Amino acid sequence: MPLEFARSELLTFGVELELMVLNTRDYDLARGAADILPRLAKMKLPGEVKPEITESMIEINSSVSRRYDDLLRELRTVRDAIVETAERLNLAVAGGGSHPFHKWHERRIYPTERFRRVSSLYGYLAKQFTVFGQHVHVGVTNGDDAVYLTHRLAEYIPHFIALSASSPYFQGEETSFETSRLHAVSAFPLSGHMPMVQTWAEFNGYFDDMKAYGIVESMKDFYWDIRPKPEYGTIEVRIFDTPLTVERAAQLAAYVQTLAAHLLRERRSEPILPMYRVYGYNRFQACRFGFEATVIDPYTREQRRLADDLLATLERIAPDAEAMGSREAMSGIARATREGANGSAWLRAQYGETHSLNDMVRLQAELWGG
Amino acid sequence: MSATFLPSLPFQLSFPLLFGVLLVAGMLGGEIARALRIPRMIGYAVVGFVFGPIAGAMGLGSLIDEARIFVDLALGLVLFDLGRRMDLKWMRRDWSLLATGLAESLLTFIAVFVTLEALDFRPVLAGLAAAIAMTTSPAVVLLIVHDTHSEGQVTERALNLCALNGLLASVIVTIMLGSAHYESRMSLETAVLHPLYLFAGSLFLGASMAWSARVIARAIERDREVHFSLLAGLVVAAVGLATLLKLPVILALLSFGLFARNDERGYALLNVSLAPIGRLLYIVLFVITGASLPAGALAAGFWGGLALIAARAAGKLAGVMIVAPLGGLRLQQAAGLGLALLPMSSLSLLLQHDIARLYPAFGAALSAIFLSAIIVMEVAGPLAVQFGLKLAGETIPEGEETMTGAGPRAA
Repeated sequence: MPLEFARSELLTFGVELELMVLNTRDYDLARGAADILPRLAKMKLPGEVKPEITESMIEINSSVSRRYDDLLRELRTVRDAIVETAERLNLAVAGGGSHPFHKWHERRIYPTERFRRVSSLYGYLAKQFTVFGQHVHVGVTNGDDAVYLTHRLAEYIPHFIALSASSPYFQGEETSFETSRLHAVSAFPLSGHMPMVQTWAEFNGYFDDMKAYGIVESMKDFYWDIRPKPEYGTIEVRIFDTPLTVERAAQLAAYVQTLAAHLLRERRSEPILPMYRVYGYNRFQACRFGFEATVIDPYTREQRRLADDLLATLERIAPDAEAMGSREAMSGIARATREGANGSAWLRAQYGETHSLNDMVRLQAELWGG
Repeated sequence: MSATFLPSLPFQLSFPLLFGVLLVAGMLGGEIARALRIPRMIGYAVVGFVFGPIAGAMGLGSLIDEARIFVDLALGLVLFDLGRRMDLKWMRRDWSLLATGLAESLLTFIAVFVTLEALDFRPVLAGLAAAIAMTTSPAVVLLIVHDTHSEGQVTERALNLCALNGLLASVIVTIMLGSAHYESRMSLETAVLHPLYLFAGSLFLGASMAWSARVIARAIERDREVHFSLLAGLVVAAVGLATLLKLPVILALLSFGLFARNDERGYALLNVSLAPIGRLLYIVLFVITGASLPAGALAAGFWGGLALIAARAAGKLAGVMIVAPLGGLRLQQAAGLGLALLPMSSLSLLLQHDIARLYPAFGAALSAIFLSAIIVMEVAGPLAVQFGLKLAGETIPEGEETMTGAGPRAA
């Protein structure tokens, strides 16, 4: 039975944000999801707040927005509710792609059937997967467009990494990477990018094969950087570290939305093979060096500084930003790019100041609180 | 011919030898308890019960007096850690936490007071005893939290309430000592000034230790090991100073911990764990507590002891079960929290001991009741905490238990 691609309103968008739950004593991860969530459930909030695989994570699912302003306003409301609820439980909540010093073996799996199953399949990977990401969904009207955008947005993966990077420390160590979270993702068997199918029909063929092999049961089993999400009628970009503020989270979502608008208007037709040849290299460069990475343009074979490439892209999509109402978000992204300002830079500065990862996380939680 | 290089008889038991023997014997008892799937500290205490009469026969006298310095150090550390766990900001943000603490303390006081009055004890004595009964043993709770890797709302609330009832009890005992003094015809000045000195002196000592810690911390590297030495040193010194100044170690160290934690601006002190030295002192604390409990008291005060335990448990459970759910705790969590507040051990013993020394009229009858209650709770208390935390779903799931780290997770 082929996967049905639900139709959704073109270029509407929404986000999922995974957040860390912390104690306020030493700012290590804390069990708290099961206490925070029932209290939030009693409030009237847009979207949804859900459990994630360990009890130290909660996940915000925004409702569907058309414009950047709406999304930002909603995220601020939900953030305030979460922060206030957590405070009453003597817990704190923060953004960031990974917790800098928690010990993964101390994490506990949230008691639901699916999470238990995942945990028993992946063993320690499941607990080590206590990393925190942002997913951005953009609505498209059919499966073919979803396949097209999934491929074409892959070219911008290095930008997404540099802008969202906020996990320079992992297991108590300075990793020298801008994001260490993506290593945890790479360990899973179905990570990476979607195979080079060209249409929704071809994708269905691939999915049927994988199911027939017994490798996957549903779309949830693919851990790709970008994937089509047929149930929602969206494409889902999953590469982002959860940023340190909701403002950056909304900007990132607006950037994906604006790029999608641009790509659907331009309908690029270059072959995708060269792009995937440089994909792994560019992705690594961005993870390691952020804005200062050297990325390769697969079509001109030119090497460029990531920040320059990002600024040039912003100029190219300026008309689309105007149309989508995301001009303010794009200028925020341009400013951050020029200043080299992402979560990792901020965290390194705080650590330089305090010499304590505990204090750094405390400040990270304060920043998240707005 | 006398060989002067040989030791002379009779042997004198030295502190290092005593400490070493208690530590190893206690550790072995703890591991046996572990193998029987009961909390380690029951093993420590049982080793103490066995050790007590032997020490008595060897002419070592009351162990709690001989080894008082270890008890003070261990309790000092426990209370410092507890103080650091107590979060005044949280109490301001969630009124139900403070209300739960006040309710369970108050109801416990009333229940025990009424029970002892019914047993014909004079009001001053019944009041002192009721105040002591308010305390929850922080050492038992901290150690079980550590050994079961317990984590969550009930755990955090239990530790905060434990600090709160300890603080309330010390304040009430200090004030009541004043009226006890008055009753025993001491001058009015003593009746007023002594409690005032104990109270203000302890707070001042705690605050100045925390202040020194911060001043030194600012001058040295922000490094965990350096801060560990700083805090461990200051805690030991604070115990010494409190003893020197005739101040209650309990109140002084609790306030040291409180001031060290609730430092709103500075964050100069790293929140380092004192666990590595904690485990050693905890073992010795439980063994000595066990050893200083005369088995004879169990028979002498058995029924009174049981009445005390029942009244105290009723007060604590009722207070928590009534108020905690108002703050959003599920019923199971509230029950778990109530059970976690039941242990009664070295802290009550020390308070009782201090009072008995300062004020002999506390009397043999009441002491016997108290001691027999403590003996029973030495076993029942740890079981109650472990069961309560499990009921609340906060201990590590069966089969995942490991022994990591070396002591109560304090920081």
